[in-house]
Amino acid sequence: MTAEHAAAAEQPKKRVKHEGPKKHIIAYIFSLVLTILAFAVVVTGEVRASFVYAMLVLMACVQVFIQMAFWMHMKDRGHTFPIIGILSGVVIVFTMIIMAVYWTWW
Amino acid sequence: MSGHSHAEGVLPHEPEKATLEGRNKVLGFWLFLGGETVLFGTLFSVFIALRDQVNGGPTANELFSLPVVAAATLILLTSSLTSVFAIQAMHRNQTKATVNWLVVTVLLGLAFLGLEIYEFVEYAHHGHTFAASAFSTSFYSLVGFHGGHVAFGILWISLLIWQVLRRGITLHTAPKVYVAGLYWHFIDVVWVFIFSVVYLMGKVG
Repeated sequence: MTAEHAAAAEQPKKRVKHEGPKKHIIAYIFSLVLTILAFAVVVTGEVRASFVYAMLVLMACVQVFIQMAFWMHMKDRGHTFPIIGILSGVVIVFTMIIMAVYWTWW
Repeated sequence: MSGHSHAEGVLPHEPEKATLEGRNKVLGFWLFLGGETVLFGTLFSVFIALRDQVNGGPTANELFSLPVVAAATLILLTSSLTSVFAIQAMHRNQTKATVNWLVVTVLLGLAFLGLEIYEFVEYAHHGHTFAASAFSTSFYSLVGFHGGHVAFGILWISLLIWQVLRRGITLHTAPKVYVAGLYWHFIDVVWVFIFSVVYLMGKVG
């Protein structure tokens, strides 16, 4: 009886919780499109270099954001500390990249 | 061992987060990824600073072939998706499907690694060796470090496949598979920046 009860209680919860592959496939398609766009911008090569650089960085950031949110589950609940952990790394990286670009290329 | 009591019963929906140990593993791994971000960031900043110091050797524009890079990108992106499928199968407690998707992920990883080795050998023929210039050293450090991560991931996931085949999905093995999945996504995330900053920007400048 109790086992049955537990199984019954499990049933609706299970159905609600299991996510399908749909949003992950959408994330894949978005990543693919952004990748193709990035290659296309360079291959067609009609626009100014600084504009291309900015576009490439922007598209890479968007793609990474999508992948981390959906594939690495960062948008899910209970990810406050993971976000703090990875963001602390990102802040340091951001500082270093700005420094490298500023010192060498400005 | 703790997994055995659940082996014949119903495994919780997200077995990787069902135990404190599992949750700690996932959190600890995220902190590790924060450190990895800094590691790759230093290599990126060095590459950005030195990428034009070719010392008479081939420049990035002369060297890189975009079709190979595009193929490698497609392979790694797809492998990231198949590792998502592996975790989803694990959440449904489907051992066989989990293992199959992990095998696909490893095979795609091997294909990526093969392409990278081919690429490096090709570059070496053009005089682009590790010590040829500041550009080549920073290039091989960054891209090679990423390739090393791919190689380690292949080894790691292969061992996990073996363990899951032996023990099945338990409260003990599930966090390991989940964390390996996070690692594999991270590798792909780093590659997004590599193909954008190293290869595509190299073709522009």
